[in-house]
Amino acid sequence: MSQELSVVGKRLTQPDGVAKATGAARYTVDIKLPGMLIGKVLRSPYPHAKIIKIDKSKAEKLPGVEAVITLEDTPKIPFASSFRDLPMAPSGALQRPDQLIFADKARCVGDGIIAVAAINESIADEALELIEVEYEKLPAVFDPEEAMKPGAPKVHDYAERNIAVHVGYPLAEGDIEKGFQEADCVVEDTFFASKQIHCQLEPEACVASFDATGKVTCWSPCQLAHPCRRELAHIFNMPEGMVRVINPFVGGSFGGRLSISAEPICIALAMKTGKPVKLEYTREEDFTVLETRTPHKYSIKMGFTKDGTLIAMQVKVVTWSGGYLGRAQLAGGITLIWGMGHYRCPNRAGEADIVYTNTTMSGAMQGYGNPAIMWGVEQVVDMAAEKLGVDPLELRLKNIKKVGEISNMGLPIESTALDECIKAGADRIGWREKRGRKKEGVMRQGVGMATMTHCSGAHPLLLEHSNAFIKFNEDGSANLIVHPGSPGTHIWGTLSQIAAEELGIRAEDIHIVTGDTDITMFDLGSHASRSTHVTGNAVLMAARQAKGQLLERAAKTLGVSPDELEVKDRQVYVKAAPEKSISVAEVVRNAIYNFKGECLNISGKCSWESKWNCPPTTAGFAEVEVDTETGEVKVVKFVVAHDCGRAINPMTVEGQAQGGIMQGIGYALTEDFVINRDTGVVESDNFTTYKIPSMLEILDTEIILVERPDPKGPFGAKGVSEPCIVTIAPAIANAIYDAVGVRVKDMPITPEKLLKALKAKSDVN
Amino acid sequence: MSRALKSFEYFEPRTVEEVVRILFMYWGEAKVLAGGVDLVPKMRKRQIQPKCLVSIQRIPGIDYIEGDGAKGLRIGALTNLRSIELSPAIQKDYELLHEAIHQIASIQVKNMGTAVGNLCVGTPASDIALPLLVLGAKLRIVGLTQERNVPIERFFIGVGQTVLQPSEIVTEVLLPSPPAATGGAFSKLVRTATDVAKVNVAVTVTVTDGICQDVKIALGSVAPTPIRANKAEEALKGKKLDQETIAEAAETAAEETKPIDDIRSTAEYRKEVTKVLVRRAIEKASKRAKA
Amino acid sequence: MEKQIAKFIVNGRSYEIPIEPRMTLVEVLRDELDLTGTKYSCGVGECGSCTVLIDGKPTLSCCTLAITSKEKSILTIEGLAQGITLHPIQQAFIDYGAIQCGFCTPGMILTSKALLDENANPTREEVKEALAGNLCRCTGYVKIVDAVLAAAEAMRKGGK
Repeated sequence: MSQELSVVGKRLTQPDGVAKATGAARYTVDIKLPGMLIGKVLRSPYPHAKIIKIDKSKAEKLPGVEAVITLEDTPKIPFASSFRDLPMAPSGALQRPDQLIFADKARCVGDGIIAVAAINESIADEALELIEVEYEKLPAVFDPEEAMKPGAPKVHDYAERNIAVHVGYPLAEGDIEKGFQEADCVVEDTFFASKQIHCQLEPEACVASFDATGKVTCWSPCQLAHPCRRELAHIFNMPEGMVRVINPFVGGSFGGRLSISAEPICIALAMKTGKPVKLEYTREEDFTVLETRTPHKYSIKMGFTKDGTLIAMQVKVVTWSGGYLGRAQLAGGITLIWGMGHYRCPNRAGEADIVYTNTTMSGAMQGYGNPAIMWGVEQVVDMAAEKLGVDPLELRLKNIKKVGEISNMGLPIESTALDECIKAGADRIGWREKRGRKKEGVMRQGVGMATMTHCSGAHPLLLEHSNAFIKFNEDGSANLIVHPGSPGTHIWGTLSQIAAEELGIRAEDIHIVTGDTDITMFDLGSHASRSTHVTGNAVLMAARQAKGQLLERAAKTLGVSPDELEVKDRQVYVKAAPEKSISVAEVVRNAIYNFKGECLNISGKCSWESKWNCPPTTAGFAEVEVDTETGEVKVVKFVVAHDCGRAINPMTVEGQAQGGIMQGIGYALTEDFVINRDTGVVESDNFTTYKIPSMLEILDTEIILVERPDPKGPFGAKGVSEPCIVTIAPAIANAIYDAVGVRVKDMPITPEKLLKALKAKSDVN
Repeated sequence: MSRALKSFEYFEPRTVEEVVRILFMYWGEAKVLAGGVDLVPKMRKRQIQPKCLVSIQRIPGIDYIEGDGAKGLRIGALTNLRSIELSPAIQKDYELLHEAIHQIASIQVKNMGTAVGNLCVGTPASDIALPLLVLGAKLRIVGLTQERNVPIERFFIGVGQTVLQPSEIVTEVLLPSPPAATGGAFSKLVRTATDVAKVNVAVTVTVTDGICQDVKIALGSVAPTPIRANKAEEALKGKKLDQETIAEAAETAAEETKPIDDIRSTAEYRKEVTKVLVRRAIEKASKRAKA
Repeated sequence: MEKQIAKFIVNGRSYEIPIEPRMTLVEVLRDELDLTGTKYSCGVGECGSCTVLIDGKPTLSCCTLAITSKEKSILTIEGLAQGITLHPIQQAFIDYGAIQCGFCTPGMILTSKALLDENANPTREEVKEALAGNLCRCTGYVKIVDAVLAAAEAMRKGGK
């Protein structure tokens, strides 16, 4: 399917670049409304405590304080911050709503108890100090394995042994016992994937304002604005049409804004005061309160025949949820989908226990379980290769899936280029020359690899519904009304390029109208790497419809039939006689200002539901240098080869991959979420204590775009962003093993742990 | 969890004498403000809540680097780390100090932070204290009724604690002329480049004919204050510098540490890598001494 | 504490603003002058999002008391473009895909400006060293460095 494309595939600049480069872009934290109050939340200093008494009288009397609200001032409708208490999945599966706007019992340090709204931040701070709360401290549990033991403190009354839910692998197949019996080589090991913090630079915030009719407008960085609207309506017992969610520019999401956090309290304060309220988290609050990446401890067992065919795979996961479920439930289940859906394997079984603890909530982050599980899977594959005496690259090539085979989500694979990604990446890292080199000296080098499969939207597991509306303007430009969110991933530019290509105009002729649920039609939002593929298809279909109208009208003017026409670079022309043409602008104008009784504003719309999954894949290759005396690891080079179908904008895909490398290096080596095991206080509560890579940690990187267009994607495009991070940590772990022959299976691989492992190895030797 | 600071009295005196007088008046409840890059975040987080801040930013004539290797060097109280890093005199004659400051990754921190301010925070992880310890620096301390020069090895007395009395202020750092045939080296281990050190080390070695005439080893982040590894120094002085003697000195230095577990590292690791860093620093310093 | 009037020179303009000593410069810029291009992110001086140039030097406005920067020349991101003509660094960030969510961008651009004003022909390593105090979570830094090097070239060739 080769087409000559004029806009898609070009390295165009982004429509929001100027606003961001000049400081004009307004984020939620920048919003100011007349009469706006500042909200602040009093949070539990204890990990587990009953709330005995609250005395807010002094705070209420403080001049400048306009409201002090507690649970009693809110509708006590239990909800799930993940929106999964309301139907979102074809399977009908719901999540138990276990949260209230304010805690009825403190279940983690940082649990919100009371909120104030005051005329400025200083007075709000002072008001919090005047509130007296009497707590009854309860024993707390911070570790999921401890939480499952008999006698452990119970975080929620309903959850026996603190197990919120037990999830089985829905795509289990074959006979797992028989599979392992028939295997010649079985490898089993346990891994811990850690609790990574998103660290988006814009702190969590919300602004809420009610109008005179009782309709609330909520400015929020949330990624799923339409589902968010529904959930907020549900929490406040309001009809959806009376809730308006606006996404301003957003300073990073990475999955941390899938769930709501500040919104319910902010709306409650606005409701009580009758004034606009802004609630902005401090960085410490952000790191203590927001859902992090979900940590898991899991065992993986893989069985291969002696010729290297994978025939059995079993995964057992303990998913570490916090005081409330958030997205931990889905994260636990989906690790099974990712982990056991990547390689071809006839016998597969798995299960996950989602366990409550008195800690910060766990949720979704870039990859949503895929980085966590492939951390282990890809190391076990290397271990098996070593046992079998084969090149781990060849072992992977043998077992990766081909077109037509069933994907991780249970549908036939429409396209895959993973084989080419593996070969291209191996070539760029110098796999053959560098792998298994003789190691000597204090500084040891090694190379390692990992592969993965993700999704382009989560059909059939989740609703995959997007809408697009395009209307032409008299100047031949077009407004594209969509709502993929504002995650900062260049999605507006991507969708503009798709629309412009189909409409036959330039990318800069597309005006994106977005971010307001009053104006945009439903879009699930930005997650599961769905926007390019799913919303992109909605845009493509809407553009096709608009183009149809355009050609029909142009045909009348040019005296031909519509199928004789093509449109390119702002001109509609007769294919057989290109000099016979009319500008797009003129066609549009003549239809709007039509004096022949045929007025029309040329437009197109599409309600699109994805029926496919079209998984993108990536292969990652790491070259590391280990200082064997200090345990320090330098990632000398990282190569990501991305099977993205078609890069609508290559600069965008590269940028996503480079970002994924940085986040993956942090996940693998430096980012450690630390809770004080006595007090439950989050000690890694700012960038000083929680270390993300700076510019100096990123050395050489290379991104290879492998474009094998997907038959179902818009211009062949598949999902882009999340695949980028998944291979980083396991490739680094495998490279370290190549360099020094040890593994640290418990993330992050700090120099402290690595040095200990090196010493243990040399003691054994 | 707040973003706003609490209120305080604020003064911007024009002389050191005025500063000292205000410090005396507020006895222990006033803090000196130089760059603020350490103080302001601590105040926001309510870790420090002074009643009064005395800024020295408006005092003329205290931002200077004067002298050189021949005469000795004086660094004023308001001199920021970036200007010390860029100073030709320091790059030429006090390479070790330059090396330490260069490894502080954030240029903003270096523009704002002063050397004197960094020392007065009294953290055992100070990247500035270690080179000054091995270069034999003294601090000029001015009080209400007296002025004194305190050798830097007597300046730190505990975590966040220095010998400064509530009404005293450090006005300058004095560095002697570096001895001949001497080389220095600084290194640190960090989680990421913009982190506080988990272990840091500064060494100077004076070498003639392969014999260690003098050695100074300063260790950071491994005790309540920055320390000198005196036993290791004594063990190495007068000895021929070879793999064995250097390794032994490094081991002894590690034994002198009293590290703790914290969010950046573990006591076990810190003790272990002290050996490695000291060994490598002595090797590097000896090479530089011969050059 | 009573407010005192202090004079601020921001982007070439003078402002008389009542402030308390406890107010940080980032607060004054964002809340009093409505210059929200300077961002507040960590409040401990670690991320660089609040970077402004004071007398040409990159400074963390969240760690700077506003009262100490009175009468000094402050440049925020809003002061960089000349009307609608972007500074070459701003243009390069756009052209090279160095902006994703954009939250770190103002600080990055200003720190880059200070670098290029001091060193018109930096190496890749020198750019990284100069920008190490500015964190970004989206881009992975590569295109930011590409953009700064491209801006340096454009500025050497005559764009200012």
